[in-house]
Amino acid sequence: MINNNIMLVEGNRLYLEQLSNIIRETETVTLVARFRDAKDALGQGMVFTPNIILLDADTPNIMSLLGEFRRVYPNADIICTGEKWSAETSSLYVNAGAKCFLVKPFSSEELLDAIFAFSKAATAGKEAKVMTFFSPKGKSGKTTLIANLAMAISRKTNATVGIIDADLQFGDMAFFFNLKPQSTIVEAARDTDFLSPVSLSAYFVPVAKNVSILCGTKEPSLIDKVSIHSLETIINMAKTMFQYVLIDVPAGFNPTSIAAAEIADTTYIVAMLNGGYEVQHIQRSLDVFTTWPDYKEKVKIILTRVEPCTITAKQEMEEIIGYPVAGIIPNAYLDVATAADDGRMALDLKPNSPLSQRINYLAGRITKEKQENDDDF
Amino acid sequence: MAEEQINGVIITFFSTASAVGKTLISINMASELAREGYSVCLADFDLQFGDISNYLRLTPEYTITDLCESIKTDSGSPLMPMLTTYAYEGVAFQVIPNPKKLEEAYNLSAETIIEVLKNLRREYDYIIVDTTSMFSVLNLALLDISTIVTFLGIVDFIPTIKNMKIGNETLRTLNYDSNKIRLVLNRSDSKTHIQLKDVVSILGEDFYHILHNDFISARESIATGIPLVLNGQESELTQELRALVARYTNKGYQAVETQKRDSWLSKIFK
Repeated sequence: MINNNIMLVEGNRLYLEQLSNIIRETETVTLVARFRDAKDALGQGMVFTPNIILLDADTPNIMSLLGEFRRVYPNADIICTGEKWSAETSSLYVNAGAKCFLVKPFSSEELLDAIFAFSKAATAGKEAKVMTFFSPKGKSGKTTLIANLAMAISRKTNATVGIIDADLQFGDMAFFFNLKPQSTIVEAARDTDFLSPVSLSAYFVPVAKNVSILCGTKEPSLIDKVSIHSLETIINMAKTMFQYVLIDVPAGFNPTSIAAAEIADTTYIVAMLNGGYEVQHIQRSLDVFTTWPDYKEKVKIILTRVEPCTITAKQEMEEIIGYPVAGIIPNAYLDVATAADDGRMALDLKPNSPLSQRINYLAGRITKEKQENDDDF
Repeated sequence: MAEEQINGVIITFFSTASAVGKTLISINMASELAREGYSVCLADFDLQFGDISNYLRLTPEYTITDLCESIKTDSGSPLMPMLTTYAYEGVAFQVIPNPKKLEEAYNLSAETIIEVLKNLRREYDYIIVDTTSMFSVLNLALLDISTIVTFLGIVDFIPTIKNMKIGNETLRTLNYDSNKIRLVLNRSDSKTHIQLKDVVSILGEDFYHILHNDFISARESIATGIPLVLNGQESELTQELRALVARYTNKGYQAVETQKRDSWLSKIFK
C-alpha cells in the first residue's frame, strides 16, 4: 500500500491548526510535516519525504511558488487550498502543475476524494468539451438524446462524462435513469460558494462507470434557488471534473438556456419533426444564434423523429432549413417510452436499433472532432 | 353616464408538458365560440415560438409588441383595430399574434401584457389564451387574471405524467378556487402502456373532460389551416371539442341530456 505522507503548507495560523487536526483524524494519511512559511517548506520539507503537498493558494506569489514546489518535489502531488474556488485561478493552478483545488476548511472525506478519486481523473488540467442542448419548444427528444449520447461517448472513449440537468422546472433526467437523488442542482447551487470541483463531485450521481448526473429540481418553484451565477460556477467546475459535459436546459430562450449556451463549446439546437412548424422554430432560433461571430463552429442542429432516417432526408432538411444538420435521429417513440417507463435507456434496450446507431455515430463525431464529411451522415 | 363595464371571460390553456395540443384546442375553442355568435379574441402568448399565426395562415400587420407599445404610451386609442382577423365561411374572430421577432418576445414585460388583456376583456365576450409549458412570470400572471384555466394533459409516458402531477400540485398551491382549474385530457387513447385509471389515481383527481386521439384529423386541420370545428367534418374529436365549449359557456352539455334520457328509459323498462 502506498503511504500518503502529507506536508501541509499554510500561512494562516488558525487554519494551520485546524487543517492539521483534520489531516490527523483522516485514516490512511499521515501528516509528516507542516510549515507556515512556504520558503521553509521548500528548503526543509524534503527530509520528511512527502508525496502529497497541501499548498496554501492564498499566499502571495503562489504561481511562482507552485513552479518551485514542482521542481523541488517532482514526485509529489500538489493540492492547492484556498478560501474560495474560482474558475480562472484554479485553472491557473492546475496548469501550473497542481492536481486540484480544495476549499478550506475541508473534511476528511473531501481530502480523501481529492487524493484518491480526483487525482486519478484523466482530465489532467485539460478542460472538458461542454455541450448545451437547446430546443425552441418542449418535446424535442433532447433528454433521451443527452442520456444516450453521454453513455455512448463514455463507452466509445472511456472518457468521463457529466450531465447537468438544468431544465429547472421539468427536468426528466433523474427519471430516465431511475434515480431518487439525495442532492440535486438546487443543493449544489446553494453551496457553490463553499464548493470546489472535488466537493461538487459528491453532488453528482454516478449512473455508469464514467457517467454521472447532477439531477434537476424536484419541483418547479425551486427554479428561483438556482441563480444564473451559481449555474455558471457549477458548469465551470464541471469543466475541470469531466472530459465531456452535457447540459439539458429549459425550452426556448431564457436566462438559463442563454447562460449555458454561452459557456458551451457547442450548442445543439434539437427539434423533433412532428409535421408542425418545427422548421420555422429552428430558423427563428438561428436568427438569434447567428449573431454570434463564431456561430458556424458553435451552433449545430440535431433533428429527432426523422423518418425515413436517411442521408437524403438529412440533405433535404438542410436545404429547407438553410443550415447544416449535424445529426438525425429516427423515430423510436415506443422504444424510448418503454425504456423510460422502466427507468432504462433505449440504447441498452436495442443496441443495434437505428436509434442506437445514429447516436453512436454522433458520439463518434463529438469525440473525434473531425470535420464534417458530406458522404457520411 | 358611462355604460356599465362588463369584463369578458378569459380562458387560459396551460400545461406542464409540451406538445399536448394547447394551440390546436385553443384555436378550436375560439372558432366554436365565434361560430356560436360570441365576440372572441385569441391571444398567442407563447411569445417566442407561438404557432397560432402559422396554423391559421395569418400575416399580421401588428403583434402583441405593438399592443404593448400602445398601452405603454397611454394614448387611450382603442386596441381592437390592431388585432388580426381570422375569418372562414362567415365565422370570424380576432387574434393577438406573438411577436414577429424573437428578441421582441424576450423583452416584453408580463405586466404590460396583462394591461393589454385588461383593456381587451372589456371588448370581448371571450378571450382565449395560449401559453407555454412552464411556470414563468407571464404564465403565473395569466393564471391569476383568467376566469378559467384549462390544464391540459396527455398520457404518453411516465415523465409526462410526472410533470403533469407536479404541475397540477403547483397549480393547487396557488390557491385558486377549485373550479377555476379544469383538468382536460387530450389524445386519451394514443399508443401507450399506461392506463387512464392509473393516471387518475396518481393525479388524485378526475379529468373534467376527455378528448380522444384523432391524429389524422388534427394533422389535416394543421395542414389545411382550417379549424376542426369549422371544416364541416363532424368527427368524434370535433364533437368532443364542441361539448367542451358547451360546458364552458354553460349551455348545457349534450352528454347530460343523453344521460337524462337513459334514466328516463331505465325507469320505463324497470
